[in-house]
Amino acid sequence: MADKSQSRFFLSYLTESLQTFVHPWRNIDWFLLLLVIGLTGFGSLTIYSIELAEEFNRSYQHLSIGGIGLVIALTIARFNYRGLLRWHWLVYTLTNISLITVMIAGVTAKGAQRWINVGGFNVQPSEFAKIGVVITLAALLHNKNTANIFTVIRTLAVAAIPWGLVFLQPDLGTSLVFGVIVTVMLYWANTNPGWLILMASPLISAILYHLYFPGWLLWTLIITGIAWLTIPVRVVSALSAIVINCGAVELGNVFWGLLKDYQKDRLILFLAPEKDPLGGGYHLIQSRIAIGNGGLNGTGLFQGSQTQLNFIPEQHTDFIFSAVGEELGFIGSIILLIVFWLICWRLIWIANSTKDNFGSLLAIGVLAIIAFQVTINISMTIGLAPITGIPLPFMSYGRSALLSNFIAIGLVESVHNYREIKKNIFKNT
Amino acid sequence: MAKNQSVTRLRPQSARKSDSLKQQHHKLKISLRLFIVWGVLVLGAVGLASRLYYLQIINPIIVYEQAPRGRSLREIARGQQTDRIKFYTPRRQIVDRNQNVLATDRITYELYVHPKLFRRNSKPVPPEEIAKDLADILRTKTPEEFLELFRKRKTGIRLANNLPESARDKIARLRIDGLDLRPHYSRLYPHEYMVAEIVGYINKDSNRSPQAGIEYTQDHLLNRKQSSVKVKRSFIHTNGQEQKIFHLGDLNPSTKLFQFDSLQLQLTVDLRLQQAVRAALKTSMDKYDAKRGTVIVMDVRDGSIRALVCDPTYNPNRYSDYAGDFSIFRNWAITDLYEPGSTFKPINIAIALDAGVISPEDTFDDTGKIEIGDRIVRNHDYRKKGAKGDINITQILQYSSNVGMIKIMNLLEPEDYYERLQNLGIEEPVHIEINGYTPGHLKDKIEFITKEIEVATTAFGQGLSLTPLKLVQLQAAIANGGYLVTPHLVQGLSDFEGNSHYSKTFEKKQVFSTKTTQEVLAMMEQVVEDGSGYNSKIANYRIAGKTGTAQKINPATGRYDKEITSFVGIFPVEQPRYVILAVVDEPQGQYTFGSTVAAPVVRSVIEALIAIEGIPPASQE
Repeated sequence: MADKSQSRFFLSYLTESLQTFVHPWRNIDWFLLLLVIGLTGFGSLTIYSIELAEEFNRSYQHLSIGGIGLVIALTIARFNYRGLLRWHWLVYTLTNISLITVMIAGVTAKGAQRWINVGGFNVQPSEFAKIGVVITLAALLHNKNTANIFTVIRTLAVAAIPWGLVFLQPDLGTSLVFGVIVTVMLYWANTNPGWLILMASPLISAILYHLYFPGWLLWTLIITGIAWLTIPVRVVSALSAIVINCGAVELGNVFWGLLKDYQKDRLILFLAPEKDPLGGGYHLIQSRIAIGNGGLNGTGLFQGSQTQLNFIPEQHTDFIFSAVGEELGFIGSIILLIVFWLICWRLIWIANSTKDNFGSLLAIGVLAIIAFQVTINISMTIGLAPITGIPLPFMSYGRSALLSNFIAIGLVESVHNYREIKKNIFKNT
Repeated sequence: MAKNQSVTRLRPQSARKSDSLKQQHHKLKISLRLFIVWGVLVLGAVGLASRLYYLQIINPIIVYEQAPRGRSLREIARGQQTDRIKFYTPRRQIVDRNQNVLATDRITYELYVHPKLFRRNSKPVPPEEIAKDLADILRTKTPEEFLELFRKRKTGIRLANNLPESARDKIARLRIDGLDLRPHYSRLYPHEYMVAEIVGYINKDSNRSPQAGIEYTQDHLLNRKQSSVKVKRSFIHTNGQEQKIFHLGDLNPSTKLFQFDSLQLQLTVDLRLQQAVRAALKTSMDKYDAKRGTVIVMDVRDGSIRALVCDPTYNPNRYSDYAGDFSIFRNWAITDLYEPGSTFKPINIAIALDAGVISPEDTFDDTGKIEIGDRIVRNHDYRKKGAKGDINITQILQYSSNVGMIKIMNLLEPEDYYERLQNLGIEEPVHIEINGYTPGHLKDKIEFITKEIEVATTAFGQGLSLTPLKLVQLQAAIANGGYLVTPHLVQGLSDFEGNSHYSKTFEKKQVFSTKTTQEVLAMMEQVVEDGSGYNSKIANYRIAGKTGTAQKINPATGRYDKEITSFVGIFPVEQPRYVILAVVDEPQGQYTFGSTVAAPVVRSVIEALIAIEGIPPASQE
């Protein structure tokens, strides 16, 4: 009798304590978490397939880092993200310090300094810096419903330091990601879209000038028009828009001169990889061939001949999508795209339904990171974008990238967990 | 107040109105913001999906410089994954009867350089350094000349071919990208010109098409199809280096691989004899400054040729050096007709004996000269010796009497004589394994029968023409009991131990009775023993022979003022095995007869045969 009641008590105690334990996570977005876990597992499987013939298969590492990442993400999700508001300058400082450390004591590989050695592990601070920038910008922008010009300038100035540090490594891919984070978050903070276009105009101008001169003329005209319409001091702003656009061309040339040869090759070659089929174009050609070889149904898991026969160098990192494309074909690729698209959908939904600007901006920042990286990574494997060294989130092998992605998801889960939901998603209070 | 009231009433209204306007505006802005973010995402996804559709479903043909054009991605992939490994099956060796290699395949390398690819460990290397290294290894040009070449073209410069393995190793050790060594097999003729007229040669280009001799006629035996096997190609990472590896994978290994034999084409030729023969011929030709010469040594029992020398000849390893003179590649012992002259007399005697118009003991009155129609035919020694009077047939051969021969052959009906000549197959082809055999030539039958002079000239071996090889075949019939054997050079296919795995059989046809040939042979022995053939005599050995000194038309003067001297020997008489014919064309000098120019050659050849074959002397004196 006593035993029975005791055991019943024990059982109810256990259930209660379990409930207490699970309680802090009761509001997280399980669907998003499952998608991410599934992707990581799938990434691991793909790496397993790629390295099937290799002595040392990195898929287990990917899986175990993913596990650690999941724990970190859940831990972050347990705590209220708003706590970060107090510490955002610390985050910003740490981000910059880590990037400077790379420059001073980094490990050099493939012409760039990207890693620092922490207790035997190579850590890539630029991956974590992405999250740092998202937190910093969200904190800077969350106070006002509509970012005014001073907020924009302040934001740009703050973002410029880590951006510059990454660019100097040089890590072109990550610096592009930074640019996209800044643009998307400013946009989400209701910055005048005209200003964002003006911000981006010098870059587009510099590219257009070399590609198609009449296009450049038209572009300059449009930009001048936008400047005239959106910036209060019309004449000055319009004139300066022209000056900036012309200057951008010259600046672009100077910049191009500063780029290392391999970077130039990477940037241009995707347009015509056939020009250097054994050198810089090799990746692009081989990746395309593998994906084309997949056809509709693919060659089957572990059956991709181009993949299994190691035709694509570094396939487990940046070119992992080519393995998916070959072994699982068009159907598998589209399913993978849909999974990424679902993740983006969850992120947008969280960003849009969160009452708090800070949480909303965090979610949109993470969306910017993931959506941009997915698009650019897949684009480069199918010959739509230059090779920029951007990994495929959750899929590509890379410990720092995987961990930072999980941290990002943890932040979003925390937003989901502790946010106030808008009654009307279109109401902005 | 009212105004005020209305104002106060209005104010909240307007404030509310502007508030709701603002709100509406904001709502619009927010939904636009969401719409744009969504739009960008959807656009990106559609872009990626349509590109994937293009690559994976449409399977486009991409222009890809280093792959065959016009192939789709999937075809390129298949091409990359599988490779045909060609197992080089060397062309069969050609060996002599003692397994001496006369022709063989060996690996050599072609060197192509691509200056635009000059790199070592992916770092550019200055062309000056490469030029210096190559100059040290190749020693064909100075570094400056190499540099000049590098400057002119950026890719695909062929610097050397036929590089041996050692040079290949040195170049490979430089570890420079842009130096492309391509292995290929080249035919090597280790004895150079020594057997060139028999073996022939093949082209050095990639087609390796045979051009002459055994190489040409026996291509079906020598050339073997290359076997290849389809393999999967892969890469392996060892010590951070990427290496190509091949494995059979799930592909069926080809059984063709194992159909490989090491048989070689064995010739009947004896290299040592060939060398001795060439030396003997050369000595005589040098002495008399002759235009050309040939010696054929044939086994009379089966027609296998032991030596066949033509001079001048060529070096098959450097056949391109003779670009101006294609006649040098012709084996004139087989391709060129000549009037055999006195060496044909024993054949005529055999014909007459077989026809029963004479018997060996018959005698004829040698008048020294004879009138045939409107022409007068003289003996070659008429001026010195005049008429010889009654001489027997042996003496007719010993003195090589034209008058005696005419008298003998006149005993035959011309038609019968003509048919018997035809029966010897003079006008028929001889199927020897060297291309270009020219059948001999007799006068037209009507002409032969009706014109007395034709029978007369044929009686002493003029007026008909044949190749030296045909004469050897006819003389062999005298030696072997009357059989026309098939002259041949190919013994068959044999393994490295000399065991025969394939050999041809050759037919023979009896053209003379054995009794006749024995009688003629005895007469010919007397020619050597005590006649014009004394120069070929060797103590204690029995040799039969016949000299020949035929007039030939000098194309420059249009007169018969040039000579073609010859000697045919049969050895050993007690059991004939070899017939040896030496022909020396256009010897210069005073005493240029078959007996002085050609007979010593045959003697040297017989001496060599005695040494090589270990033939014992016939009698001890």
